[in-house]
Amino acid sequence: MQCRTDLGLCVAFPPSPVTRSGTQKAAFVGSSWPAKMAAPAGKVARGWSVLALTLRTAVPRLPGLTQVRWSRYSPEYRDPQTDKEYYRKPLAELTEEEKCEQELRKTQLIKAAPAAKTSSVFEDPVISKFINMMMKGGNKVLARSLMTQTLEAVKRKQFEKYHAASAEEQATIERNPYTIFHQALKNCEPVIGLVPILRGGHFYQGPGSLRIHQPPPPRPATPLPFRPRCCVVPVPLPARRRRFLAMKWMLTECREKKHRRTLMPEKLSHELLEAFHNQGPVIKKKHDMHKMAEANRALAHYRWW
Amino acid sequence: MATPCVFCGAAAFYRLFLGGRVSLTRRQGVWKAAAAELQTDTGFQILRLRHTTGVTTKKNVAALRRETYTVDFIKKQIEEFNIGKRHLANMMGEDPETFTQEDIDRAIAYLFPSGLFEKQARPVMKHPEQIFPKQRAIQWGEDGRPFHFLFYTGKQSYYSLMHEAYGKLLEAEKRQSQLQAKGLFSEKTETKDLIGSRWLIKEELEEMLVEKLSDQDYAQFIRLLERLLTLHCGAEEEFVQRFRRSVTIQSKKHLIEPVQYDEQGMAFSTSEGKRKSAKAEAVVYEHGSGRIKVNGIDYLLYFPVTQDREQLMFPFHFLDRLGKHDTTCTVLGGGRSSQAGAIRLAVARALCSFVTEEEVEWMRQAGLLTADPRVRERKKPGQEGARRKFTWKKR
Repeated sequence: MQCRTDLGLCVAFPPSPVTRSGTQKAAFVGSSWPAKMAAPAGKVARGWSVLALTLRTAVPRLPGLTQVRWSRYSPEYRDPQTDKEYYRKPLAELTEEEKCEQELRKTQLIKAAPAAKTSSVFEDPVISKFINMMMKGGNKVLARSLMTQTLEAVKRKQFEKYHAASAEEQATIERNPYTIFHQALKNCEPVIGLVPILRGGHFYQGPGSLRIHQPPPPRPATPLPFRPRCCVVPVPLPARRRRFLAMKWMLTECREKKHRRTLMPEKLSHELLEAFHNQGPVIKKKHDMHKMAEANRALAHYRWW
Repeated sequence: MATPCVFCGAAAFYRLFLGGRVSLTRRQGVWKAAAAELQTDTGFQILRLRHTTGVTTKKNVAALRRETYTVDFIKKQIEEFNIGKRHLANMMGEDPETFTQEDIDRAIAYLFPSGLFEKQARPVMKHPEQIFPKQRAIQWGEDGRPFHFLFYTGKQSYYSLMHEAYGKLLEAEKRQSQLQAKGLFSEKTETKDLIGSRWLIKEELEEMLVEKLSDQDYAQFIRLLERLLTLHCGAEEEFVQRFRRSVTIQSKKHLIEPVQYDEQGMAFSTSEGKRKSAKAEAVVYEHGSGRIKVNGIDYLLYFPVTQDREQLMFPFHFLDRLGKHDTTCTVLGGGRSSQAGAIRLAVARALCSFVTEEEVEWMRQAGLLTADPRVRERKKPGQEGARRKFTWKKR
């Protein structure tokens, strides 16, 4: 696009982008990218990654398939099953359902197994998830080494206690670091959670959450005797959310509330042992959550799902 | 000063201001780059065009209406297609009688080579049935009365299909209750071919009925068919089978490498694997002691990280053949994790030649034989990374 600049005037034209969408949108910085990225599900933004390999085909919506917009796999790809014992089971032991499922899997496309997954007996999905949550900046090597050091520290502490204890107590002391880890996380899982609910045009985060300089919002007509100001509603949590919260609290506790000189494995092993015995700050946090839920019990009817 | 070529057509005259504001209402069709040139010798400034486009200001209403093709037109197209097919066969020196669609595609690709990336924009010669969308003939007679009794529902084919299916369901239930009354009713086994086939998808059903359907209509229809299936009546099987399509068994698609033999008579198998930008080639020997050499270096030294070594061991451990094979690999490109993943894929593919078909299917279901398609997502302009946006500032 030529423009005469000798007179000091430049007529600037936005370059017409090479899109296949057929719409003419100027590629101004920051403006049209969200629209382009919101391309219909199932299509990579072709104008930009024409040569990129993609496994995605134009799959029409089949029942039981959710299109995941950002996945490189087509929606019909299933997760792999790496457990050896699942395949070694003899045919006689299988139930009807399992036989049907096996037949069905033969027709399904399977994703590649991720790099952290093997068929090893030493592998634990909970530990892997915890390592991923501990990881910062993609440094999996460091996170994994911290985890192994933590488990080693737990084992050492338990063995010290074991050797120092009398015969009756020795039976009660748990020395397997994996069982301690699982039990500790299970003890930290909250049963019920809190969700802020929109009421009167605002999300209330807790009692007295309105700022003073704001005028109070107009409230909808409610029955006179009881008009709760705060709407943090107790809600039952699904299992994966509970596991996630337990791990998250554990990690936050260990990262923030420790002395600068203490190392992560030391602090984490200490917290795990405390949680195993139902003591410590993470358990306290869980109890606080339960108490808040108990206190806001009257608002439970605001939940509609 | 080059004389600007003024486009003939008064409506298509651009008036451009120094601010660069283009009249947006004129953006119709393809908009080629236009430039302005100031003419100053006459003393007053007129902006004239150097290049012009053939854009009209009026909306092309006729083109927006859906094109309807008459039956004669389609017939003529089919005749022309058949004649053209014979000409093409003669041109290519093939027999016109046995000239299939694949031959046509190959011939067209040869005669009209196209470098376009978009496959649908390349020249194509297909039967008119596949090119022109299926359309309905006129649904009413000369007196204006519709032929079909369900015409006024709006979705006559769909409702007539539902009517038929429900009629069959009622018959099947009646027969079953009669059998039960006589005491001759027996529990039949399930149809086994449910696994190898799937229901028609909504788009396929729409194509079959030449009618638009909603998701609820489609779901209702499939539910009705499933109810029919549960009644296990032989007469309705063919009716239901019309709406099922077969699904391929995935494991048959894999190519198993042939086993080769080297000078000492040792059997080995070679295979390649890729992950991100790492490419690996693995040679797995049938008998060995479990040594793995990567680029001439022992795997313990090449991969100091435990996770990578676990990935190398994964295919062997999965098949219980940990200490039984020797492996030599070469790998280029990528980082440490992607090199490990590439070798894992190569080793798994090579192991397919020494292992039963069932175990190959197990490996496939464990995700060992699929090439990981995930690659690094590019950074986009206006954002800091692939997904991360710049810090949002209120002002």
